Parts: sequence; structure tokens; C-alpha cells
Amino acid sequence: MYQYDAFDHAFIRDRVADFSDQVARRLSGELTEDQFKPLRLMNGLYLQLHAYMLRIAIPYGLLAPRQMRRFAHIARTYDRGFGHFTTRTNLQFHWIKLAETPQILTELAEVEMHSLQTSGNCIRNTTSDHFAAAAKDEFEDPRPWCELIRQWSSNHPEFSFLPRKFKIAITAAVKDRAAIRLHDIGLHLTPQGFDVYVGGGMGRTPALAHCIRRGLPGSRLLGYLEACLRVYNRYGRRDNSFKARIKILVNALGPDEYKRQVEAEWATMDASRIDPPSDEIERIRAFFPLPDLSDAAFDAAAHARAETADPGFARWVKNNTHPHKRDNHVSVTISLKPIGGTPGDASADQMDVMADMAETYGYNELRITHEQNVVLPHVARADLYALYRRLDAAGLGTANAGKITDIICCPGLDYCSLANARSIPLAQEISRRFEDARLSDKIGDLQIKMSGCINACGHHHVGHIGILGVDKQGVEFYQILLGGRADEKAALGVITGKGLPAEAVPGAVERVAQLYLKLRKDDNEPFIDTLERLGREAFAEALHEPA
Amino acid sequence: MKLLTANRLSDGVTIWYAAEGWVEDAAHAARLDDAAAEALQKEWTQRETEVVAPYLVPLRDNGSPVQREHVREFVRANGPTTGPTRDALARAFARQDVFED
Repeated sequence: MYQYDAFDHAFIRDRVADFSDQVARRLSGELTEDQFKPLRLMNGLYLQLHAYMLRIAIPYGLLAPRQMRRFAHIARTYDRGFGHFTTRTNLQFHWIKLAETPQILTELAEVEMHSLQTSGNCIRNTTSDHFAAAAKDEFEDPRPWCELIRQWSSNHPEFSFLPRKFKIAITAAVKDRAAIRLHDIGLHLTPQGFDVYVGGGMGRTPALAHCIRRGLPGSRLLGYLEACLRVYNRYGRRDNSFKARIKILVNALGPDEYKRQVEAEWATMDASRIDPPSDEIERIRAFFPLPDLSDAAFDAAAHARAETADPGFARWVKNNTHPHKRDNHVSVTISLKPIGGTPGDASADQMDVMADMAETYGYNELRITHEQNVVLPHVARADLYALYRRLDAAGLGTANAGKITDIICCPGLDYCSLANARSIPLAQEISRRFEDARLSDKIGDLQIKMSGCINACGHHHVGHIGILGVDKQGVEFYQILLGGRADEKAALGVITGKGLPAEAVPGAVERVAQLYLKLRKDDNEPFIDTLERLGREAFAEALHEPA
Repeated sequence: MKLLTANRLSDGVTIWYAAEGWVEDAAHAARLDDAAAEALQKEWTQRETEVVAPYLVPLRDNGSPVQREHVREFVRANGPTTGPTRDALARAFARQDVFED
């Protein structure tokens, strides 16, 4: 993975020193809250219901074991023993003290981490495919391009005060595991170059991004991104924060006119001042070699015996491993969705275990997924049973990746000051309803995504079943969306039926799942395909209790 | 009647205005008449070295926040309703939840 050079270290040290001084001046009264708030937000520090929340950037979801251990240390020392992984592949601590923040940032900087650009109207953390460099269906490793964008977008003087926040995602495989069409800019790297999608997003006004360029050479990527952002920065609406995202501009202009303006801007730019020389791209690429993967023979008979003796292991292998470029390896998803648990949470002890496992079995690499799980991208098949036993003993062996209990869920009104309704307790109750592994496996891939407000941190617009918490005259209510998906066939879910009180939602989900089992063509037709074949109306009635 | 609440600047902890000044336990929050509550809010909005963003919570006759603020203030007063810090505040003060219907 990328290693900081002297410039990076000095940059982060300077920013920590700046913020430490700002905190001291706020505490002494020299700065008012109005003056201080934008400064703390630039450092990822929010004030929420119970305390300050610190959001730490995990660039493109990539983590080294020593960084995960540092999170565990911060959780124990400065928080309450746990952290929450987010859909932006960041980590949030929810019980932080302002006065201790400078020390926390100092300790993060020691392991090449920070919280810059995790808030504010700037370019946020670029996200990518959590199976990057490992997946069989990949064209090219997207991480060097993510790193190039990270360096370009860090403290970019022209784009530090955009009309609104700006999110970029990259995938470089056949399957889209990075939800690129739900981003301000989504990049699909193919053998012909980058396909550039612009104007997607969720929140109050969900939209799918439009492709405005195909086959853009990587050597010209930064210049083209810069042109896209310049047009947005010039014409994005600063008069109304609800209409300030690029999706509003692209839809107002129309994708063709937006593209015309981008191309015109691009034509005026001096590419040599923006686009990196090829040796710089190669320098960055050199930070991401494929690890020296083990050639140890895989004892298929021993593996089969372990699966027979331990059905939990067999189920975990089936659900939580993903094909790897090398047949004697797999990628492993460590589920942070135990039945009845808080989606995306990990305790300090679990963070330490995951760091240990990455060192012992995972070639020193961890990934955070936008689905709020953790991935070990390279694991020898010969090590799977030993790994599973260690994970399971730490409460990390839940075999539900991609299944109905693998629920994406924001913190909601239990923590977040923006939320209208709680989301975690509802996710937990739905999870418990599908605790029966046989039922969950029979249902197969079904993604539930839940947000506690319209800002859609829980990606409810693209859940096969989406759940949105709303405030209905002071009472928590939940709207159900059906038919969303975030993959290469991206679609927005549609609100279906009337809003439901919390206690009615698990039953509604159960009835929809049972109806799917009755209506599917065969065991191989996933929920979303059945729903698309029959239309969401076929499921609408099931959302409500039979009269 | 209203309650006055805010977050403490140094650590962000939820605090409530009580007879003896700011306290962490919502059970001790003072029920203030509207005029006194508004005057206190104005006063504390100026004193930014101690609290952040003080605001008023209207009360129903039974002493609980009005419906619209109910869940938010219930969570702020007692702690998250789930997870490792469930009812953290109610437990810290060795009391039952406050602001229940």
C-alpha cells in the first residue's frame, strides 16, 4: 500500500498542529463556535447527540494491521471501546472529547492516517472495489488510480470550497462493487480506458450518473476530472444547499450540455500542468504490488472433512469467500453484521483480532467495504479453517455476506443529530427474524439498506429492500422502497405502500421474503431478478398486514 | 414549561440546566417557565466557552418533551437505545429512563 513520503508526513503534521491551535483557541474563548465549526468539520469532527464524533478517513478502504490496531487503541483510550465503519469506508468514533482530539490526531498521524476531508464541501474519500487486485473479474488494479486521485484532491486549492461535498468511486472489474453510478463521479476502468459517469447520488434527490465519456486514457484522467469539477464549481448552486450537488446541475443542464461544457473546459486546459507524467503513475503503481502469494498446496480432502465436521465453517466458506485470481486463494469477507448486532460496529478487541488475522493469514492487508464489512483480500484456501476458527471465537464468524441479515445501516437517531428516526434497533430486529441460517440461505442474496433520514447514509435508495426512517408528526415511521440496486445494473428503489411504524417493519420484510420464495422461477433466481420480472406491485400488498 | 439543554464544549456531553447550574443528569433538569427559559437561553448563547448551542425543549403536562422532540430528547437524556452504550446515561446515574410516555 501507499507509504507516506516526507512531504505527506510534513503536510499531516502541519495540519494537526493547525487544528491543535484552533482547539486551544476555541477552548479559551478566542474563537466563537461559528468561527470554529467549519474548522472542526474540516478535520472530521462533528458534534452529535451525546458527544463529538470523529470520522477518520480510510483511503479507498485500505488498511494495514498497524492502522487497525491504532483504531483499537483509540477506541479503548479515548472512546468507549468500539468504532463504527461507515458506507464511505471510513471509521467513526462517537464518544470523543474535543480537548483530546489533538492527541488523537497526533496518534493517527504516526500511522499515516488523518480525518481531513471527511466532512465539508470538498472532495471526500475515494471509494473502490473491496476485492481490488484479487477478484477474478478484474481488468486492472484500481488502487493506484485511487491514490493518484487522493493526492490530487488533498487540499486542492480550487476544490476545497465546492458548492457541496463531492464523492468519487472507481471500479475496474466486470461487476460493479463500488456503486459507481451513485456517485458524483463514478469511474469504470476497462481495457479501453476510463468510462466517466457524472451526476449520480442518493440523499434527498436520488439520481443515477450519466456516462459522458468512454475510454478516457488514464494519463488524461486528472485533467478530465478537473474539467468536470470546474464546470460544477462554476455553475453548481450555492444558493440552496439542497440543490447544490452536481446531480442537480447535470440534470438541469442535461448530460449532453454538461458534457459539452466539460469538453470545452478540458480543451482550454494545459494538460502538462495537471496530468501526471507516466513515471509518476508508475511510481504510485509500484506501491501496490500483488503480495508474494503462497504456493502451498491446497488439501481439498482435508478441507472437505472440515466442512463436513463443522457445518458453520461450510456455510461461511460458501457465503463469505469470493473467487481470487489465484485458484489456491480466496478473498474473505469478515461480517460485521452478527445476528442482532449493530451493523458496522467492531469492538477494540475485534479490531485487534482482525489485525492479527491480516498478519497471520492475509498478507498484511485489510479492506473496509461500503457494505460495512471487512475484507481480507488474499487468503490461501489452505488457511481457511484456521482463520474461520479464530474469527468465530471473536464473534466475527457470521456467515451472512450478501444475505438478508447483512444489512447496511447508518447510526440513525441513537447517535446522529441529523437523523429523524432510529435505524439500528430496527436492523437488529430484522436480523433476528432471519436468524435461521437455513431460511437466510434459502432466500439467498437480498440486500436491505436502511437510513435514519433522507440524507441516505445507509443507501436506502439502492437496497433491494430500502428502509427510510422519517418523522411523522413526532413519531418514527418507516417508508419501504423496493427494487433498488447499486451494481452494474444500478436502479433506484421506489417507495411502495404506506409508511409503517417500527414494529410493523420486520413483519413486512418477512412477508416480502416469503412471497419471493413462492414466486421465484427456481432456486437460482435472486430476489432482485424476481422483483424486476414481476414488478414491485407484485410485492406491494405483502408489505401490509393482511386485513 | 421548557427545559434548557446544550452540549458541553470541552467534551460534547449532553447537559441540562438545573437549579444548581448545568448538570449531566436530565432527571435533575429544571422545569422553567417560558419567559425564564428564553432569558436563560439568550444568556448562555453568549457564554460560549462553556456550552455549545443551547436550545429549549418544550414540555407536555406530564413533564415529558413534546411529541416532536420525544425520541431525540429521550435518547439524549438516557443514552442510545441499543448497542454497547445502551442506556449509558441512565446507567451512569443509576436511575430509570426519563422522558418516557
